[in-house]
Amino acid sequence: MQKKVLSEIGLYNGFVDMPKGFEIDLNKLNEDTLQLQINNKEFPFSKEWDKLNTYLREHVHVKYNFQLINKTSWGNVYKSKETSSPFINVDPVDLRNSPDYTLLYGVNVKDCIVRIYYDDNRRKGRHWDMPLKNNQFIMFPATQMYCIANYQEDSVNSILTITYESK
Amino acid sequence: MAHFAKISDTSQVLSVHVVNNNDILNAEGVEDESIGQAYLEKHSNWPADKWIQTSYNTYGGVHKLGGTPLRGNYAGIGDTWDAVNNIFYNSKPYASWVLNTTTATWHSPIGDAPTLTAEQISQNAAITNFWQYSWNEEGQSWDLVDKLA
Repeated sequence: MQKKVLSEIGLYNGFVDMPKGFEIDLNKLNEDTLQLQINNKEFPFSKEWDKLNTYLREHVHVKYNFQLINKTSWGNVYKSKETSSPFINVDPVDLRNSPDYTLLYGVNVKDCIVRIYYDDNRRKGRHWDMPLKNNQFIMFPATQMYCIANYQEDSVNSILTITYESK
Repeated sequence: MAHFAKISDTSQVLSVHVVNNNDILNAEGVEDESIGQAYLEKHSNWPADKWIQTSYNTYGGVHKLGGTPLRGNYAGIGDTWDAVNNIFYNSKPYASWVLNTTTATWHSPIGDAPTLTAEQISQNAAITNFWQYSWNEEGQSWDLVDKLA
């Protein structure tokens, strides 16, 4: 008896473990995220963003043997006790130009949960909750719907999103 | 052009960068690995000691242009950096194979595959057969297989 997996929903997560002295400056990314809320522009390129992006692309390539190609990048701020509306980062009428993966990175987060919705055969509308911490990432197929909940009362949560095409 | 491998915390090669020869010259105008490492640290946000120079023309402990081999093999993404033996080597092909740290190559426990006979070589050339030895991990032997059969 044999089994063939035709498709899978892989959730990749972990901390960005940069070498000592080369850690990502989360304050800089937080500033850029806040600025973005005012300017409403694409996430600016910076040394810190590049450190993160390079780390993720290289480590995913070595560990899981596929390459990530950047599509877009943006930041979001969530108020205390806010639960976002569901997001999905593929355009159903333009799948050719849609990303393959969504990556969320905790820039300044506390008590934050990412809820990823998925179907398990006939069991539709299931969800998987994953906590997101500072300097932690979660990556999943861009076809998955997700929402972000900020459960704390003290401050806002800043999250960086990067979308990728895979090769 | 000089090539440097970017090494992860787990000693895996993350990428290989090309550096202009002029950027690895010391004050005396001599190529110096540490100058290249410092250059890469400055421009690529990764510590100098995790950039290791590698030779594009070195494979299996031999420099294919007759020069001096450097660190066993040209580093490839996913290869392992062995700081103790000062070599790069690729992933282990079979569980039973052992690494020769002099040539930085993997070998079966019973040695390399036997050479093909003259008849088998001529059949391969005529494309009537395609004889090849392939490793049988279960039986710990080299099996002669005709890939066209």
